Amino acid sequence: MAQVRYVSASRVYGKNAPPAVDALDLEIRDGEFMVLVGPSGSGKTTALRMLAGLEPLDAGRVEIGERDVTFVPPKDRDIAMVFQNYALYPQKTVAQNMGFALKMQGVPKDERDRRVREAARLLDLDDQMLDRKPRQLSGGQRQRVAMGRAIVREPRVFLMDEPLSNLDAKLRVQTRSQIAELQRRLGITTVYVTHDQVEAMTMGHRVAVLARGKLQQCATPRELYDNPVNQFVAGFIGSPAMNLQTVPLTDGGARLAGTVLPLPAAVRTAASQAGLGELVAGIRPEHLHLANGSGELAGEVLLVEDLGADALLHVRLAGDADPVVARTEGRTPPAPGQQVTFHVQPDDIFAFHPVTGARLAG
Amino acid sequence: MTVIEDLAPPPKVEVRPRGVSRRERWQRRLPLLPALIYTIVVTQIPFLVTLYYSFQSYFWNTTAPAHFNGVSNYKTVFTTPAFRSALWRSVVMTAAAVIIAMILGVALAVLLDRKFFGRGVVRTLLITPFLIMPAAAALVWAGPMLDPNFGLLNYLLAPFGVHHVAWLSTHALGSVIVVMIWQWTPFMTLIVLAGLQSQPPDVLEAAKVDGAGAFATFRELTLPHLRPYIELGILLGSIYLVNVFDQVRLMTNGGPGTATTNLPFYLYQQVNYAFDIGGAAATGVVTVILTIIVATFALRMFARVFRFEEAV
Amino acid sequence: MTAVPLRALRAREPGSRRLREVSGKVGWTVLAWVVAIAFFLPVLWMVLTAFKPESAAETWPPRFTFSPTLAEFRLVFSGWGPYVTHSVIATIGSTILVLLLGVPAAYALSVHPVGRWRDGLFFFISTKMLPIVAAIGPLYVIALKTHLLDSIWVLIILYTAMNLPLAIWMIRSFMLEVPSELLEAAELDGAGRIREITGVILPVISPGLVSTALICVIFAWNELFLALNLTVTNAATMPMYLISSVPQEGLYIAHLSAAATVASVPVIIVGWIAQRSLVRGLAMGAIK
Repeated sequence: MAQVRYVSASRVYGKNAPPAVDALDLEIRDGEFMVLVGPSGSGKTTALRMLAGLEPLDAGRVEIGERDVTFVPPKDRDIAMVFQNYALYPQKTVAQNMGFALKMQGVPKDERDRRVREAARLLDLDDQMLDRKPRQLSGGQRQRVAMGRAIVREPRVFLMDEPLSNLDAKLRVQTRSQIAELQRRLGITTVYVTHDQVEAMTMGHRVAVLARGKLQQCATPRELYDNPVNQFVAGFIGSPAMNLQTVPLTDGGARLAGTVLPLPAAVRTAASQAGLGELVAGIRPEHLHLANGSGELAGEVLLVEDLGADALLHVRLAGDADPVVARTEGRTPPAPGQQVTFHVQPDDIFAFHPVTGARLAG
Repeated sequence: MTVIEDLAPPPKVEVRPRGVSRRERWQRRLPLLPALIYTIVVTQIPFLVTLYYSFQSYFWNTTAPAHFNGVSNYKTVFTTPAFRSALWRSVVMTAAAVIIAMILGVALAVLLDRKFFGRGVVRTLLITPFLIMPAAAALVWAGPMLDPNFGLLNYLLAPFGVHHVAWLSTHALGSVIVVMIWQWTPFMTLIVLAGLQSQPPDVLEAAKVDGAGAFATFRELTLPHLRPYIELGILLGSIYLVNVFDQVRLMTNGGPGTATTNLPFYLYQQVNYAFDIGGAAATGVVTVILTIIVATFALRMFARVFRFEEAV
Repeated sequence: MTAVPLRALRAREPGSRRLREVSGKVGWTVLAWVVAIAFFLPVLWMVLTAFKPESAAETWPPRFTFSPTLAEFRLVFSGWGPYVTHSVIATIGSTILVLLLGVPAAYALSVHPVGRWRDGLFFFISTKMLPIVAAIGPLYVIALKTHLLDSIWVLIILYTAMNLPLAIWMIRSFMLEVPSELLEAAELDGAGRIREITGVILPVISPGLVSTALICVIFAWNELFLALNLTVTNAATMPMYLISSVPQEGLYIAHLSAAATVASVPVIIVGWIAQRSLVRGLAMGAIK
């Protein structure tokens, strides 16, 4: 039973380097599945390692279950970690790998065996496999052993550092749901690091988006998608990424591709209060609706990516704007070279400050 | 006279793809041949000649030609206590030096396997004994270091109640072994250090998270990881130290009495002082046979190292 | 995300823990230095003694302060000429020969391995296990009959055989490290066997070759047993010069130290400069 708290936690590697993790404030509830997501260099792994005790803090503190663990060594934090490359002990068998932490705790051998078997069953690792060495296992099996090693401990917090990144695409999707399911069943607080926003969206109860060491937004997947607080989160969450274009402001809207996109009144007010002459408009690909010639945005199809269920259109809009991506139904996509028009709901347009990237209230 | 026949055939993992043509096979063999022929000629022929002379009576300081004298050279070998004691001394010297050097090597490698002030300099100082010429090491130890009248060691030990000990007379074998250890500990340190540094850091982190302290991590994870490195160090150390000659010749000349006469020095004496080629050859043949027996075990160890290599 | 200055929030460790950590670190460093200096002490003492006048070398208590002199070094340099020449020729000659024989052999045992590469490799290693001393009598006779006794060739030939197994073993491991994609790319580009070795493999493994050569140089330069038994004057090497610097009577410790220093310094300096590749070479040759 443990919640986790980062309080202004910072980590600086070099004297003059920017902080790898910059005054992180984050609260993870008991039993919650929290995903830390961000591009490489965003500090997500560093933040996880700070929680594990593998990385010292330069400022702030970390708490596990109300207790300040900033200076507590990893072994006394009652955590279990799944490493990106699994970090299995190569000279030990699968069973010894999974039972190692218990052995270190002085748990008697019978009890150890029982719990290892239990965890193995939970993960569909059969008994013969328990006597093998890690190098005799496939990538997927190793991943499960690494999970098993964490589960056997029954720790207060699971830490997972990109545990799926070494699996092939199909297995990754499969394992993704298994991990989420397992976590729900065990109810153990979990902090999960990934660079893959799809993983973040599908697994996390809440997702914390990090960039350049700073927390951008922490919210449920739905909230991140519907209400990104800034341009970075808007661009990072969602696949394919949101179309973002810097557009000049006009009366009543923003000028794009030779036409005026209507903007909600709140956005217009916010923009004029900030004294902006232009802003960054964002439209998700799925919000560009094909409209047989009657849409307000016109352009020429450059490329069609047919994904089966739906198709992605790369379209050069009229005027000199950058190409945009639109998601459309897969059956009858337009052909490259064809002229198309799109319709957009005003509510589906996000607006951001062109300099700070902050969301302009809408 | 090679040892390969004795080897248990290792599991046949055929590296060569099937259906390699005859031409291709010769193309593959060709680059190996010069080294193979060279090694056979230079290392095997002398041993065949040794076998021949071991049945001859031949003293190279006389003009009398060599003549066949049956197994009498071998009789002498087995009836001379000198041979047996030299053999035993070789075993003791090699085993003591290799084992102690390895224990020290592991300790020093652990000491060096972390960042501290002047690590590069410390490592440089440590490897120097391995680089120094063994003859120079022997002479420097025998004179400036261990001399009873002006040696540095007696001076350094004086505060502990040691006064003008004539190390090479009273502790001859120990002194020679100490010099061997001094020269080979750096080698062991280097090999073990390489092993330590090849241990993946995330495994050590996993151990930390799993609650293992420094000692448990070393015993449970690091030592098994180091095993092939330790085996290799012991093997190479044994190969070189069993042949140790310079220190014996230059520090004690085999003495006092025969206290430090090991097999190489004994053979050297037979050839250079007794001029007894036949006797030395018989001693050599017996030595080689014993070596083959020991080496068979050693080669098994090599075979394990190779299995390790393939499994990684 | 309020911008609080980092220093204000600087995590404060409990004092006792920090103290323990710092003192542990200092203790570790001190221990490492003490051990290193202990191991280096005989070498240091050798060099110091080499700069002493003979009268200051054999004193009790040992003298640490003295007016340094180069007299003994001058004496060494006046007499070492032929010895050092022989040593250089034997060392470099045998090392070149080792590489010329070893590179193709290692290639045949790794990149495009011959059928029974394992047996081949074991054969080379096993020759290393046969004590050369066992054959010293017959070797003497063979050298005598082939008129190689007391010639530099006998040393070159035997040092090559002595170092070849270890060299093949090390070079082979370096060759195994060459990515197979690189070799396949070369093959697709139409490179034959020779070009594959000279154009692709050798440039990649050249650091490994250097460390292999260094090991050979160290062992050849330092070798005494064969030189002592098979040469007299025409091919006597540095270790033998060292022995000759020990007279039957009179004070000789300073002179001996100077000779020992001069004899050891080339290999020590080469080893120091190349220590990184040496470590790598030993360990790589060892395991991988």
